[in-house]
Amino acid sequence: MMISQLFILSSKGDHLIYKDYRGEAGSDVIDVFYEKVTALTGDQPPVVMSHKDLHFVHIRQGGLYWVATTTADSSPFSIIEFLNRLSGLVKDYCGSLSEKAIQMNFALIYELLDEVLDYGYVQMTSSDVLKNFIQSEAVSSKPFSLFDLSNVGLFGAETQQNKVAPSSAATRPIQSSRDPGGKSEIFVDVIEKMSVVIGSNGVLMKADIEGEVRVKCYMPSCSEMRIGLNEEFSVGKSQLRGYGAAVRVDECSFHQSVQLDEFHSHRILRLCPSQGEHAVMQYRLSDELPSAPPFRLFPSVERDSAGRLLMYLKLRCDLPPKSTAINLSASIPVPRGAVSLSQELSSPDQSAELQLQNRTVFWKIPRFCGGTQLSALFKLDVPGLSSASLLEVGPVGLSFELPKWTGTGLQIRFLRLSPVHPGPSQRWVRYVTHSDSYIIRI
Amino acid sequence: MTDSKYFTTNKKGEIFELKAELNNEKKEKRKEAVKKVIAAMTVGKDVRYTSRLDFECYLGSFHPSIFYFFSQDCEDPNPLIRALAVRTMGCIRVDKITEYLCEPLRKCLKDEDPYVRKTAAVCVAKLHDINAQMVEDQGFLDSLRDLIADSNPMVVANAVAALSEISESHPNSNLLDLNPQNINKLLTALNECTEWGQIFILDCLSNYNPKDDREAQSICERVTPRLSHANSAVVLSAVKVLMKFLELLPKDSDYYNTLLKKLSPPLVTLLSGEPEVQYVALRNINLIVQKRPEILKQEIKVFFVKYNDPIYVKLEKLDIMIRLASQANIAQVLAELKEYATEVDVDFVRKAVRAIGRCAIKVEQSAERCVSTLLDLIQTKVNYVVQEAIVVIRDIFRKYPNKYESIIATLCENLDSLDEPDARGAMIWIVGEYAERIDNADELLESFLEGFHDESTQVSWLKRTDVQVLVNSFFSFPHQDSDNPDLRDRGYIYWRLLSTDPVTAKEVVLSEKPLISEETDLIEPTLLDELICHIGSLASVYHKPPSAFVEGSHGIHRKHLPVQHSSIDTGESPVSGGPAAAMDQPHVIPSQGDLLGDLLNLDLGPPVNVPQVSSMQMGAVDLLGGGLDSLVGQNFIPSSVPSTFAPSPTPAPPAVSSGLNDLFELSTGMAIATGGFVAPKAVWLPAVKAKGLEISGTFSRRQGHMYMDMSFTNKALQHMNDFAVQFNKNSFGVIPTSPLPIHTPLMPNQSIEVSLPVNTIGPVMKMDPLNNLQVQDSFKCGLPQGSVLGPKSFILYLNDIFAVSNILKFIMFADDTNVFFSGNNMDEIIKDLVNVKGLHIIYSSLILPYLSCSEIWGNASKTNIDKLVKLEKNNL
Repeated sequence: MMISQLFILSSKGDHLIYKDYRGEAGSDVIDVFYEKVTALTGDQPPVVMSHKDLHFVHIRQGGLYWVATTTADSSPFSIIEFLNRLSGLVKDYCGSLSEKAIQMNFALIYELLDEVLDYGYVQMTSSDVLKNFIQSEAVSSKPFSLFDLSNVGLFGAETQQNKVAPSSAATRPIQSSRDPGGKSEIFVDVIEKMSVVIGSNGVLMKADIEGEVRVKCYMPSCSEMRIGLNEEFSVGKSQLRGYGAAVRVDECSFHQSVQLDEFHSHRILRLCPSQGEHAVMQYRLSDELPSAPPFRLFPSVERDSAGRLLMYLKLRCDLPPKSTAINLSASIPVPRGAVSLSQELSSPDQSAELQLQNRTVFWKIPRFCGGTQLSALFKLDVPGLSSASLLEVGPVGLSFELPKWTGTGLQIRFLRLSPVHPGPSQRWVRYVTHSDSYIIRI
Repeated sequence: MTDSKYFTTNKKGEIFELKAELNNEKKEKRKEAVKKVIAAMTVGKDVRYTSRLDFECYLGSFHPSIFYFFSQDCEDPNPLIRALAVRTMGCIRVDKITEYLCEPLRKCLKDEDPYVRKTAAVCVAKLHDINAQMVEDQGFLDSLRDLIADSNPMVVANAVAALSEISESHPNSNLLDLNPQNINKLLTALNECTEWGQIFILDCLSNYNPKDDREAQSICERVTPRLSHANSAVVLSAVKVLMKFLELLPKDSDYYNTLLKKLSPPLVTLLSGEPEVQYVALRNINLIVQKRPEILKQEIKVFFVKYNDPIYVKLEKLDIMIRLASQANIAQVLAELKEYATEVDVDFVRKAVRAIGRCAIKVEQSAERCVSTLLDLIQTKVNYVVQEAIVVIRDIFRKYPNKYESIIATLCENLDSLDEPDARGAMIWIVGEYAERIDNADELLESFLEGFHDESTQVSWLKRTDVQVLVNSFFSFPHQDSDNPDLRDRGYIYWRLLSTDPVTAKEVVLSEKPLISEETDLIEPTLLDELICHIGSLASVYHKPPSAFVEGSHGIHRKHLPVQHSSIDTGESPVSGGPAAAMDQPHVIPSQGDLLGDLLNLDLGPPVNVPQVSSMQMGAVDLLGGGLDSLVGQNFIPSSVPSTFAPSPTPAPPAVSSGLNDLFELSTGMAIATGGFVAPKAVWLPAVKAKGLEISGTFSRRQGHMYMDMSFTNKALQHMNDFAVQFNKNSFGVIPTSPLPIHTPLMPNQSIEVSLPVNTIGPVMKMDPLNNLQVQDSFKCGLPQGSVLGPKSFILYLNDIFAVSNILKFIMFADDTNVFFSGNNMDEIIKDLVNVKGLHIIYSSLILPYLSCSEIWGNASKTNIDKLVKLEKNNL
């Protein structure tokens, strides 16, 4: 894998960072790249583009183009992986990814680029090792705000708010934690993506969960961390441990810094987290969800006497009553030629609209409690509605967010740091499940 | 204070300021200035002046001193500074200064600090790029090789990376001396180094050819843990190594099967990334599935399309789904495909419908279900779905003729809605094909014919084939008025056929159609094998060999999958060495019938075997474009034919007497019996491989002499002559003692028996005896009709016919040559013609000599001379 040049562009095509490692092509290719990438249509794979004998591989992160060029038969996989890692590093060092953050820290980023790549060969991307070589201090773009003071209680007392970290807490540069005043915090996030297909007869046809455990570390000196997973956690189809509701995944992979000696006996991940963010563990489960899929739809689609299309949709949330889905949005493709929509929704906070260019009805539900049911009646005017066009209704796609809930049932039992850090340290564990593709066929 | 201010300065005279600041005494100021320059360079401002000046003053006047500083830095107690010095030196890409680099670099390669060593290793690669000769002379390559055994895995990884790159520009030198010890070192380093280093090492391992299956297995065992790495690039590199070494493992071993099982989960995991990563992964999986479908056959559900996948991911998934479709999962696949066919995206829907057809063709048991699914889709009356479905049904009809014609009525109902050329063509084909079963077929066709001029060429071609079967009176109509020369020529061909010999015409047009192949877009196996060696690289995304897109400056040598070694040499091994070597390499000539080519031959010989026009993608490009170069000097088809002789690597006891053994013993004077066993004649050279010449033969012994008894059969349509025989140098020293006794031309369908006396006094090739006999035939001139090269050589021969006369005008079509002669009025023309002694004389005095000197025989019966007076032109 040989990277010839590396550059970062803003979404408008401004050059933010440009580094040439091998002198194989001029800097004019930046503009060539920008022309090419903006001319892409939706159905062209954007991954690899070529210009003469130069190949561009790029990703988009934080609204920026991260581009590497190569002339040899390099591995686009490694390059994409590397670019992702690089953007992660930059985010770790600068606190956030934005045009401004990059401009403010360009010297630091050039310094980083010098270390991570040499003559186009990737050298190292671990922030732990890199911090030995990086001399520049990061400049944070965050303006001083009163909000930051909200964590500090009156007369320095701990407030209730301290128990919930503000969402901005995890976006700050790692290097600033060298400052004595910096808080030592650690975030462990369990993030799952769910993709489900439910057939028109209500049968669960496919259900996949892809999950990861991410650790974000702002500890200046953390020697070892132990993350305990559910004890009944098992990997692979054959390995059911005991009986009862086991937490099972088909396959999992670990970050290379994770020590697995205690994993097989006690389901404990031992690692020395380096500063910044990484995925400690990734796992995947297909087909056998431990619980019922979170949403079910009971549709009825018919043509009324006036020639209108009637869709009566009943949506049931099968989550446990304590859990809540937020930002749920259902998209329902409707026959071509639909002109207008009238709706009856079961509660006032819901909304629905017909988008003509996509010929789709969007039904938005901001909050949806477990164990409840919502319904909606949509009437559509479709001139020339035939029985064949009823086939064009569906499939319904749901997108949602399930905070504090995991599809696999994976839980973090405990999170221990050793040696116990002298100063005040905060440990946060968060769970969230996103919909990747949740399709209910009609 | 932030660095962003450097981006905002935009004043005049800035460069002067910068220059001043760069020369400032204060270190702080200078640092600021350098930052400013870098910022300006990034934005793309023209600061070359300052920076060049900067460099000039460094490289020019302080030339010696700067390197003094560099070498001093290389001695610095701080390893960071030493490494930085080495790195910076390598970045100054000036040839002149390289000599100053050598000493410090040599020191740094042996530095005690691994960070310095790893930087120095990369510096060797940099230096090699600037001055390759010097790197070799100074022995840096050996130092690099020593670094492979370094204790620090990072150093090993960089050394491997540098060596791999350098060895690419020296394809023949064995720079990366991969021997079992080195491999062992690499495998040890693999466990310890960073993920990126692992990629370098794995890529390097994949170039190694283990000597036997045991070694391959032990390497695989040590590579397998990488499959669960979080970095997908590492996973893919490991997959590459394993895919390559799987070739070497015995297929029935337990380990082979466990390894196959282990490969599937990581491949599936690759699909959990961003769409871009998924796309790259899918392109690779597509290759793997073509090579070893068994790895992922259980995982077909993973490739079911998600609603929100981008279209390029969807199409790739669809492709893989079809490849994995089998009887076991076809119901599931079809249900999915049917769902996809109702989606919004038109392109995707079309592909989904097409996929249903591919399923039907691939899994015979499912054909009926597929057809009914397609019929359901036709009922939706969605225009593009219907059209696509009809195209697909046409293919199904081709695969399973006379099976599903009951649905034709339904298809005919949708005739009016067809507006795409493809769909119309397909429908016409169906109507033409099943004309006997459709009562009003001619009416239907007539309705199509009305729009003839508006149709695209493709439809018209198809239409032609069917129309003429039914009503050839229609036929005069298209060929007169059509502008498209290709189309018109085709019209002529069929018209001639029909007007001269309707029976033949029927034979031609209704001849058996080649069956549609099961897998339509498979990658050619040799290319696939090469691409498997490049899994994870750009080649695997483009599905093209790297030589197709990487600049040739680095001599990329083709990679091959390793070949399983076995103790018994079973396969036919090509003769190596000797003058015959070049001829012995099997030369694969594409075997798809070049239909257009066959049509071309029509004027040279009687048209009997013209296949039905059935390929949709037929184009003249193929004919006229490339391929001419392959013609030069290659008008023979070597082919090797296994003989009937029992394999006898060691001389077998006489009791087991096969023909060859008998021969062998005779030559050593130990004949035991006269009239020993004579093997029956076996076909040495089948007619299909040798343009119609079939040779079968055996060896026999009569009256103490060896004979090679052969029968030659001409299965082509033309006579053959000028037979000769030549033996390659062989291990028995067999040579013919007399020339091949065939003196008369061999007429079509004639066969001739010859007995060729042979002896063993010829030069002996020192090699393991070959157990098979390789026969090749060669043609001195011309090519038999129906061969792929035929039309090309025809064009080649005829291309300079212009030169024979400047009075005559030639208009050459793909398959027809018209000679024009024009004058102002009839009298003048006749006078002129008399002057040049008449038409026939023109033909016989100018054209025939031309033809005969290039050894082409015109077929007089096919040459017609028209004297049509039309306007003022004579059509000759």
